[in-house]
Amino acid sequence: MRPEIVMRYLGFILLINALFLLISTAISWGQGDGSFAPLLFSAAVSFLFGVFPLIFVPPALEITNKEGLFIVVLGWLISCLVGVMPYVLWGGPFTFTNAWFESVSGFTTTGSSILSDIEGIPPGLLFWRASTHWLGGIGIIVFVLAVMPSMGPAAMVLYRSEISSLATDNFRYRTQKTLMIILYVYVGLTVLETLALLTQGLSLFDAVAHSFATIATGGFSTKNTSIAHFASPGVESILMVFMLVSGIHFGLLYLFATGSFRKIFESAMVRYYLGAVVLGVFAVCISVYTANYDSLTDALRYSAFQVLSVGTSTGFANADSSVWPPLSQLVLLFFTLQCACAGSTSGGIKVDRIVLFGKTLEKQIFKLRHPKGVFAIKIKGATVDEEIVEAAMVYILLYLGILLASTMIITAFHVDLLSAFSGAAAAMGNVGPGFGSVGSMANYAHLPSAVKWILTADMLLGRLEIFALILFVTIRRWK
Amino acid sequence: MKLRFKILSGFLILSIMLFAAGILSIYELTKIGHSVQALLDENYKSINAAKTMIEALEREDSGVLLLLSGEWNRGRSTIEDADKDFQNAFQVAKNNITIAGEAEHVETIARFYDRYKTLWNQPVAGTAKQGDLNWYFKQVHPAFLEAKTEVNRLMTLNDQTMYNTASALKNRASRAIMPGIIAIVSALIFTAIFNFFINLYFISPIKKLADGIRSYIKTGDRSGIRADSRDEIGELAAAIQELSTYRRELGQSR
Repeated sequence: MRPEIVMRYLGFILLINALFLLISTAISWGQGDGSFAPLLFSAAVSFLFGVFPLIFVPPALEITNKEGLFIVVLGWLISCLVGVMPYVLWGGPFTFTNAWFESVSGFTTTGSSILSDIEGIPPGLLFWRASTHWLGGIGIIVFVLAVMPSMGPAAMVLYRSEISSLATDNFRYRTQKTLMIILYVYVGLTVLETLALLTQGLSLFDAVAHSFATIATGGFSTKNTSIAHFASPGVESILMVFMLVSGIHFGLLYLFATGSFRKIFESAMVRYYLGAVVLGVFAVCISVYTANYDSLTDALRYSAFQVLSVGTSTGFANADSSVWPPLSQLVLLFFTLQCACAGSTSGGIKVDRIVLFGKTLEKQIFKLRHPKGVFAIKIKGATVDEEIVEAAMVYILLYLGILLASTMIITAFHVDLLSAFSGAAAAMGNVGPGFGSVGSMANYAHLPSAVKWILTADMLLGRLEIFALILFVTIRRWK
Repeated sequence: MKLRFKILSGFLILSIMLFAAGILSIYELTKIGHSVQALLDENYKSINAAKTMIEALEREDSGVLLLLSGEWNRGRSTIEDADKDFQNAFQVAKNNITIAGEAEHVETIARFYDRYKTLWNQPVAGTAKQGDLNWYFKQVHPAFLEAKTEVNRLMTLNDQTMYNTASALKNRASRAIMPGIIAIVSALIFTAIFNFFINLYFISPIKKLADGIRSYIKTGDRSGIRADSRDEIGELAAAIQELSTYRRELGQSR
């Protein structure tokens, strides 16, 4: 492995971080808030560290799998460290642990926060907080690849590590084109949502910040009470549409946008995703109607928003779901584990694996009935490779195992079981809010520092889809 | 890119980083200095003035009781001295309005004090009011308490602001330290990276070149005398290649 090549690409990542820090600095300067100096200093440090490897290391057209994995994992970790800088420099509620939590939560598009007074944070810093979502959502690596055409064949190696491997099985395209598709769809959706939110009377700042958080399926809001602050069915409807869309494979979205409307509905994953959301909204709506809301319209409004928010791993809130009946909480917990489609910015186990899990169960039942029969798992008529099915099953087991282990460790710090389990599940799935003391209207500030570190590890594990991190840690054993 | 530029860039980046950290720390420390000054100017003065006003009001209350007991001279002089002190302190508070809500308190104090003053400004000793404790408890004492409570409120407001400013100062102090910590950590990491690059792009090619020259001397094989870079090391390799060619040509001509 060539560490200098890894450093060169990490340099690009740092430069992109520096650019967004500089934009945040400009906002801070325009608003005259107190975060100008911390943001400028962080931008300078990030820029200097980014530019240095570019001076020394000549461009490389080919990169190996190992190098690709190193760039992805280290890129994420370094971005999270850069994200910490403006927070700790600004001070306030940001101890190092809190700043790390907020930064990892931002870059992994989780959206959990330690802030109790978000509106008291300077606009420049809030913009940086929203930017961490946006940068994390697309995956800084993918962004770098799309902007840096010099990489050539190297791109696909990184892409595999960055986005759920199932996404590449689901949708075929050429590397460079793929990356440009992702970029077009991502930027296009962000612009569209910003314009739509502006029509609802949101300020440009709030509209951009919420668009960043929606398209990245992040969930950081600029308001203390999240989306409930606006109390606007119009704003909620726009967010619901964009959350739903952001949970679909970006390649399919591109096809939809370029006129191939049927493709999106032909996808078994999308059909399951939409069906699950409709069923989920129905179940939660029935559960909260009369128990929490007297009117069916209100029950539908709040349940649809919360199911979509959790089901796409966004994590916005327009109601306090921690006071909802157990059935609705269980449905939301299911969506916290499942989340949306592979190839989107959503986290969690992902719809694709759940579909494969369902098909495997179906296959096993058939096998019980016909022990001598030969059955294959098929999606849209095509047989799915056994290796892919096996990997999906192992992933689900590993995911649940890590979740269980995290919950056990967190409860050892005297956190109640509901908060511990839902908090860990929300962190692993990059959802954001859980239930109990970490509900949709609460925050994670009160948790012990050790718990915050466990949750950030869960966030990174979830975002890098476990296997990437395992491969990274065991890289010496690679052959 | 030339070696000189690369090495210079490394030192330049390190210097910029330390310079930026220094500037930010100085900026934050200057802000702390301003905050301390503001703390003294804005709140401490007002708190002192409020204390003087409360003390003056209590002395006036004692003066009124002296008047009620018929001690005209002692009562009057106590009241007049206290009134002077009150007016002076009140002017300090009035000219030092720096906190939101402070102006309203000062205005209310002026109104309540005027009401209180009207009561004892009129003759008491030698009139029907002398010895009239009922008049004192029904009118004078409530007016005194009203004015005193309002002054207390002004003092609490300044106390609270002073506490908040002091807490913010603690935050500012950590802000002033943080750039230094980040700069130290960054400089250490940067030095490690710089060292890695120097080894990779300077030391290793020079070693390879030296090995290549030794191999050439032993075997006459010139393939080891080369450098992939276009910097000074590349130039050196090219010059050695030229030298070896010249030497070979010289040998052949002999």
